[in-house]
Amino acid sequence: MAVATKESGAKPRLPLERSGLSDEQLVAIFRTMLMQRTLENRGFQLNRQGKIPFASASEGHEAVQAGAAMAFVRGKDILVPYYRDLGLALGIGVTPYEVLLSLFGRAADHSAGRQFPHHYASRRLGVQTISSVIAAQLPHAVGAAYALQYRNGRGRAVLTTFGDGATSEGEWHESVNFAAVHALPVVLLCENNEWAISTPLSKQMGQPDIYKRAAGYGIPGIVVDGMDPIACYAVVGEALERARSGGGPTLVEAKCYRFLSHTTDDDDRTYRSREEVEARRKDDPVPRFERLLVEKSILTPAGVEALKRSVLEEVNDATDRAEAMAYPAAHDLFERVYEQRWEPWT
Amino acid sequence: MASTDLATGTLERHGLSDEQLRAIFRNMLLQRQLDNRGFQLNRQGKVPFALGSEGHEALQAGAAMAFNRGRDILAPYYRDLGLCLGIGLSPYEIMLSIFARAPDHNGGRQFPNHYSSKAAGLMSFSSILAAHLPHAVGAAYAIKYRGEIGRAVLATCGDGTTSEGEWHESMNFAAVHRLPFVMLVENNEWAISTPLDKQMAEPEIWKRAEGYGIPGRRFNGFDPIATYAAVKEAMDRARDGGGPTLIEGTCYRYLAHSTDDNDMTYRTREAVLERRKQDPVPAFEEVLVEHGIMNAQDVAEMRKSVLRETNEATDAAEAQPYPKPADLYAQVYEGAWQPWQS
Repeated sequence: MAVATKESGAKPRLPLERSGLSDEQLVAIFRTMLMQRTLENRGFQLNRQGKIPFASASEGHEAVQAGAAMAFVRGKDILVPYYRDLGLALGIGVTPYEVLLSLFGRAADHSAGRQFPHHYASRRLGVQTISSVIAAQLPHAVGAAYALQYRNGRGRAVLTTFGDGATSEGEWHESVNFAAVHALPVVLLCENNEWAISTPLSKQMGQPDIYKRAAGYGIPGIVVDGMDPIACYAVVGEALERARSGGGPTLVEAKCYRFLSHTTDDDDRTYRSREEVEARRKDDPVPRFERLLVEKSILTPAGVEALKRSVLEEVNDATDRAEAMAYPAAHDLFERVYEQRWEPWT
Repeated sequence: MASTDLATGTLERHGLSDEQLRAIFRNMLLQRQLDNRGFQLNRQGKVPFALGSEGHEALQAGAAMAFNRGRDILAPYYRDLGLCLGIGLSPYEIMLSIFARAPDHNGGRQFPNHYSSKAAGLMSFSSILAAHLPHAVGAAYAIKYRGEIGRAVLATCGDGTTSEGEWHESMNFAAVHRLPFVMLVENNEWAISTPLDKQMAEPEIWKRAEGYGIPGRRFNGFDPIATYAAVKEAMDRARDGGGPTLIEGTCYRYLAHSTDDNDMTYRTREAVLERRKQDPVPAFEEVLVEHGIMNAQDVAEMRKSVLRETNEATDAAEAQPYPKPADLYAQVYEGAWQPWQS
């Protein structure tokens, strides 16, 4: 197996025309990116208004997530995301209404409002429920991949994601090694945003390129510009295709940046300067991709405006509908936890 | 053997004196003798458990020679008899542990074959794979935190341990903080019954070093001099503030995992016999005789003295009493605490 590694800094740029993406798909990617940003902004607003307890932010991850989601085959692949993956969830079909039900902790939520907010799941779409515990999803992800292989399920793969901080966890290592030993159909996508809550990359690892670890596991390692959705689509798509066809796992590192605080419970001004964040804003993937689509006449400025309006309308509508739903009833606490109805207090 | 320059026929000794080379060889002989004794005593029903490190003699005797007793710290794994002997543990201390007698360093309450020595800078063993590595990098962090120059931690593990999360977390922590730490992997190709190809997809463990941003190197662990050179280079770098190194010594496990294992259930006698051709003990004997560092008579005498020392240590340890039940809590809590009396 060729181990495709690329030097850091030499970020591959794929010409639009060679990506294989149709205009419709490119616009869909852009809409996911806009939706992700609008919905996240809404989460922060709702938190500051005291309406929801918690929201997480993935600003800066829009390109990698929307691009990766486009490479995911719904109905066949399995997504095992981490907690900063709103765009991936949206991209494969989780609706803004479902996301807001989770944020509002309402009874109609998939977990009946009992999971941590912002931790969606969807059996229908093949999205495993999210773990707040860093790297805890990875043994589950490679376990699912093992099951696919065990059942001889060619043509299916697991896509799992994590941040740079998760790569320091023992479970990360155990999972990558297990996937490599058994040549499992899994793509390990690292969204390297340079910050593990308040820990910068230099305090997280001895060298900054995570994809370079792949060689030590005997699997391909690929680095990609995480601010470029087309490049991310291409790289993740190639890795997923290799996994689906029995070629084993791939470690993909997408270099991106976290523009907001870790969550609504964090104030990033205590550990990084405004200048740093402002400087990185120049790479903001949303306006960058908008410029590209307009430049290539895939969207007109009017088309962009219409898209933004429709996204905002959808978010407004989803917010109102989710907020109007009921909280879970106290006596439903053990509902769907045990097979039989069990009410320990009676 | 790699240490002999084939072109000139001279021995590449990396600064080791004749005396040191003989000390390495004596350690290797003692290691094999003691391991053998442990298995015998187990089969005689005299000790509950013994471990065999046959095949690791060269690696451990060579590495021990690069350890600075009184300064460095050794965090070994459970198959490190030769390293412990090499840094100064006596056969009597080893036997006290195997016999689990009261004068043992921990009062006969540790797992047999799990020695430790504060005097020698030797941490107590863990049977749990990789559990000692966070302790080892913690010790290295303490050395750095206190600004102690010229000290380093030498930690060892087998190939199987490299699949553990703690292994990764420890390597990464050492790399981030550039700790005075050397990770020496004794790759014997078997993790109890799991062969290397079921343990990792890339059989060369040292290649993981780049991913951590630290130097990595592989050497022939059947060659004690090559081992010494590799470990010394890494330890010197660590002592001088140059950060950690991952080094991998290739060797082989000739015996079953322990006295509680039967390796014929998972590998063939033929496979083991094939690897016996590389046995480091007769190979190093040949090197020493060939280069006039020992003659055949010296070797025979050394073997006799090693056997005598092992016999004496066995008898002396066996004659010691078992720990008393009343001492169960001694050295566990400060002061005398006997919970059954309160």
